[in-house]
Amino acid sequence: MAAYIVRRLIWVFFLLFVVTLITFIVFNVLPAADPALLRAGRQPSPELVESIREQFGLDDPLIVQFFRYIGDILPFVGGDGFNFGFSYQSNQEVLPQILDRLPATIFLTTGAVILWLSIGIPIGMVSAVKTGSWLDRLTMGIALIAISAPVYFLGLVALFLFDDSIGRFPLLPGSGAYQDATTFFGKAAALIMPWCVLSAAFAAIYARFLRGNLIDTMQEDYIRTARAKGLSERRVIFRHGVRSAITPIVTLLGLDIGILLGGAILTETVFNIQGIGRFAYEAIVRFDLPVIQGTVLFGAFFIVIMSLIVDILYAFIDPRIRY
Amino acid sequence: MRRSFQWSLIACALLALTLGVAACGGDDGGGDEPGTTQGTPAEGKQGGRLVSLWAGDVDHIDPGITYSDLGQQITRATQKTLYRPKVDDATVVEPDLAESDPEISEDGCRVTVKLKDGVRFSPPVDREVTSRDVKYAIERGFFNSVNSGYAGAYFGTLPGAKVGAEPGTKIPGIQTPDDLTVVFNMEPAEGEDRCPGGVLAGALVMPLSAPVPPEYAREFDAGNISTYGQNQVSTGPYMVENNESGEAIGYQAGRRIHLVRNPNWDETLDTRPAYLDEIDIQQGNDDATVMSRKILEGESMINGDQSPPPPILKQALTRQKEQLALVPSGGGRWVAMNTTIEPFDDVNVRKAVVAGFDREAMRLTRGGEVIGRIPTHFIPPGLLGFEEAGGMEGFGLDFMSAPGGDMELAAEYFQKAGYDNGKYEGTEELLMVGENEGVDARAAEVAAQQFEKLGFRVRLRQVTGDAMYTKYCNVPAAKVAICPNVGWLKDFADPQTFLDPTFNGDNIIPTNNSNWAQLDVPELNRQMNEAKLLTDTDERAEAWAEIDRRITELAPAVMWIWDNQANIRSENVVGVIDEDNGHWSFAHTSLG
Repeated sequence: MAAYIVRRLIWVFFLLFVVTLITFIVFNVLPAADPALLRAGRQPSPELVESIREQFGLDDPLIVQFFRYIGDILPFVGGDGFNFGFSYQSNQEVLPQILDRLPATIFLTTGAVILWLSIGIPIGMVSAVKTGSWLDRLTMGIALIAISAPVYFLGLVALFLFDDSIGRFPLLPGSGAYQDATTFFGKAAALIMPWCVLSAAFAAIYARFLRGNLIDTMQEDYIRTARAKGLSERRVIFRHGVRSAITPIVTLLGLDIGILLGGAILTETVFNIQGIGRFAYEAIVRFDLPVIQGTVLFGAFFIVIMSLIVDILYAFIDPRIRY
Repeated sequence: MRRSFQWSLIACALLALTLGVAACGGDDGGGDEPGTTQGTPAEGKQGGRLVSLWAGDVDHIDPGITYSDLGQQITRATQKTLYRPKVDDATVVEPDLAESDPEISEDGCRVTVKLKDGVRFSPPVDREVTSRDVKYAIERGFFNSVNSGYAGAYFGTLPGAKVGAEPGTKIPGIQTPDDLTVVFNMEPAEGEDRCPGGVLAGALVMPLSAPVPPEYAREFDAGNISTYGQNQVSTGPYMVENNESGEAIGYQAGRRIHLVRNPNWDETLDTRPAYLDEIDIQQGNDDATVMSRKILEGESMINGDQSPPPPILKQALTRQKEQLALVPSGGGRWVAMNTTIEPFDDVNVRKAVVAGFDREAMRLTRGGEVIGRIPTHFIPPGLLGFEEAGGMEGFGLDFMSAPGGDMELAAEYFQKAGYDNGKYEGTEELLMVGENEGVDARAAEVAAQQFEKLGFRVRLRQVTGDAMYTKYCNVPAAKVAICPNVGWLKDFADPQTFLDPTFNGDNIIPTNNSNWAQLDVPELNRQMNEAKLLTDTDERAEAWAEIDRRITELAPAVMWIWDNQANIRSENVVGVIDEDNGHWSFAHTSLG
């Protein structure tokens, strides 16, 4: 197991390097705004543009710029320090800004995960057990609607219905409330609506996924054997059915958490939650390459780490897997 | 630098205008607009917290770097620049840190400014401002760690001033004979006997002239990228909230800018009433509809970097008129046709396009009639020369007279251009590059439809606003045939600042070009260069109106709006618009 983890960690570094390289190439090759000209203002002199290029090192060959950035990520390579570079927009180090926004994203993700698991798993189980019943049809119909509704649409509808300042039924703190809140509970209250919106589609996906898996599992021979042995239906479902059917869910969950920790861009943008997703969105809009690279790298980091954790967890969940 | 000697003469005229010697600015019409209910600077209650909802961040928090109207909105609350446009009359400039009007020598080579005594920096500097602080503020604009966007343009003629200088480089052309006197000494350019002291004096309203304490800022400016903005001190009524060491903890990039009272501000040395206790600029309000409704239905809020979207604007006009302020922007928008590319190198084709173009449809993308007038020529209302150019009626040119488009007239011009069926008959695909977001994206799509209606084959490429300018429309080598989302805003209330950068062929440059139509008519260029030298206000008005007529006749663009800036506020806000930049003035607004 230890050797496996070490091997995977080496892969993590390799993958992050590749992601960094691809991001760098994409934003330097595809047509986009020129950071020096953006920074220079309107009608700048060539001298000013040249000075800004020098200031940000944009006049260096791309390979030099890339390895300087690597130096900003890995200090011993020789950059300006462990800071992920400086934002073209704010002149501030990128890493502290990402870390500053991380709690909001973690809070949003954690709450949403708890909510969608709490909703999705029971519904999936009930639907699988009661296949073809009106309850199954109703819940799967609702799930289909939830999957089909994009977050930005659902978010705006929720705001116009329930936002305490502009909603028709002003029940919940809405856009910008997270930023205003100063206490833990205030922040949690501000996230109720975003949690619901973000978890709606995920809960629906998990419910449908679990339902499908559980239906297949419940038709396995060993389930029939368990029933033949006289185990109660509840024990058959929970002990033998769900435990097996839920294994793929763990994979899905790990990757979803990784993706969301990298930034729930739409949810954070609609509800003005100053997390990593919003930070990335702002950077893309303003072509702030150091911030784009930083947030992409951070997102990739969470995805590969969560993927590793899932693989390790597999060994505990599924006795057939050995590393 | 593209600034020349002529600028000094213009600036002298402008300075005369702005210092109140002559009051010839056009009627901005703001007071007559429905829903315009700006408070007056004299009324207001002390105290309270105002929230300003923004979508994005300010371009730069450093007063020496910022070059945007929103940056100016902040610095006009946090800094004392040497001079400042009056909040309710932008054509008049009043001394701020300066004690009196600048003294400009007859040859324009020396500008002397006396400072007020007793103005203090905010904590942690806490000392009185001296002339050396003003000198350092302007010098640092040239540092390669600061790189001010306009220092070179306005102060580049000072001996020793060099863009991209090492931090700490002195400018011998700025002298400080005593603690309260700053002297800007220039030398005439070769072959000239005058210096551009007028334009330099005019530029003393800009944030770069706000004092910066050298002993404090030097360490922040010394690095590759200055961090003074995140550690700035203030001289105005407000400051970015900071901690004991001076770190601006009230600035959270992309999230929030929190302004609090500057404890060292002396109201007896200022004309700004500064009613509010704090101003909270909350960013990330991307959805303009949500933002507008929060402001209109909430309390103590104003808009910032985005205007209400058209449906909200219409609703506000009928139901919340008092909370809406429509301010003429002093600018306009047009669809530029590249006159160097076939078929737009033919003036009759261009006239046909203008004649047949439904400009009403374009205006509807931004909210219709309320958001501005459909132009009859180029100089917008509120600028010198507008009336001389025929005012709202314009020059009576037939192809500019049908806002909804006149297909029969367009057909006539197409026939003159050799297209017998009355539409464009070419088969080549024309590249149009427009914006990909919001109302500008819709305007680009409408423009593409209009060209297709007239027989053109258009390939519309929609990119971000920044990319549209820096990679396409501002780069002649990109050979973009049509730029549907371009426009210009005055620098001063003078038509030169509107027409010269945008239609003078001498100003076509390889990057950051703003003559989008690439109109390059030698006779017209000569006319403009001559008009720049005029100092008599009436002569200038006539000359630029004549230039306006000539440009309009050449039809280089479909001029489709002279737009208003729409601002909204909550019901309990007594809002005061800073007429110079069209945004709410933090230092004059109060809560009712």
